[in-house]
Amino acid sequence: MTAGLSEFGFLALSAALLAVGLFGVLTRRNFVLLLIAIEIAMNAAILNFVYFAGFAPTAASGLDGQATAVVLIGFAATEVAVGLAIVLALNRARGSINVAEATELKL
Amino acid sequence: MSLAEAAFVLLALVAVVTALAALLVRELVHTIMWVAIFFVDLALIYFLLNATFLGVLQLGVYAGAVTVLLLFGIMVTRKRIFSREAATGLGAGPVALALLAFLFVLTAVGELPQGESVPIAYAPAALSAALFSTYGPWVLLLGLTMLTSVSGAIYLVREGRE
Repeated sequence: MTAGLSEFGFLALSAALLAVGLFGVLTRRNFVLLLIAIEIAMNAAILNFVYFAGFAPTAASGLDGQATAVVLIGFAATEVAVGLAIVLALNRARGSINVAEATELKL
Repeated sequence: MSLAEAAFVLLALVAVVTALAALLVRELVHTIMWVAIFFVDLALIYFLLNATFLGVLQLGVYAGAVTVLLLFGIMVTRKRIFSREAATGLGAGPVALALLAFLFVLTAVGELPQGESVPIAYAPAALSAALFSTYGPWVLLLGLTMLTSVSGAIYLVREGRE
């Protein structure tokens, strides 16, 4: 069923998602939008791991990519949890989650 | 063009469009809707690749947990849920940089040998068995990182910290 899915398509998709994430990180000022942009770029990397897991020479080594993707998804969820804690702390200290206004290190 | 290929092209287009829409719309609640569609779309791509375990994980962790967390973050930081975000300029520099990165990666991809080999499908049972034997240390490390980050998050949001 997966026959005919070309490498180029997947690599182009993850390159496009990486570019979208990069654009978001550079232009958005809202902290939540920054987190979303980082998640989009991270999903581009996870997609590559999942796709190329299928090309491994042996079945045992083929699980490498998928296991890495599982761990990466876990790390991404962790990152969002800490990011939202920072959002809450920032909101309480400044009354806004605009990253352009967060110019001091200590909240 | 095979059916799977057509489905992939459609899903890829939806992924890029929803990712862009999530970052560009002015209402933050609409952003969450777009990003939820984006995550579900990626889960469908994983199902297309026969990576069932990851598809389900993507649905549960991203489309479920992360979306709700982001919604919660928006809910507690603004008074009116549908208020619009102040317009942020696109900025010629960031757009040019993102396009440059995209074109750079794309040309690098073009240099690669183009294979048409068929990906091997794995049973979810094999992956979950491997996660608790071969990749046990990784999973343990992930668990410890999650524990640490949850403690850190609780510390950050605690009332009246010094």
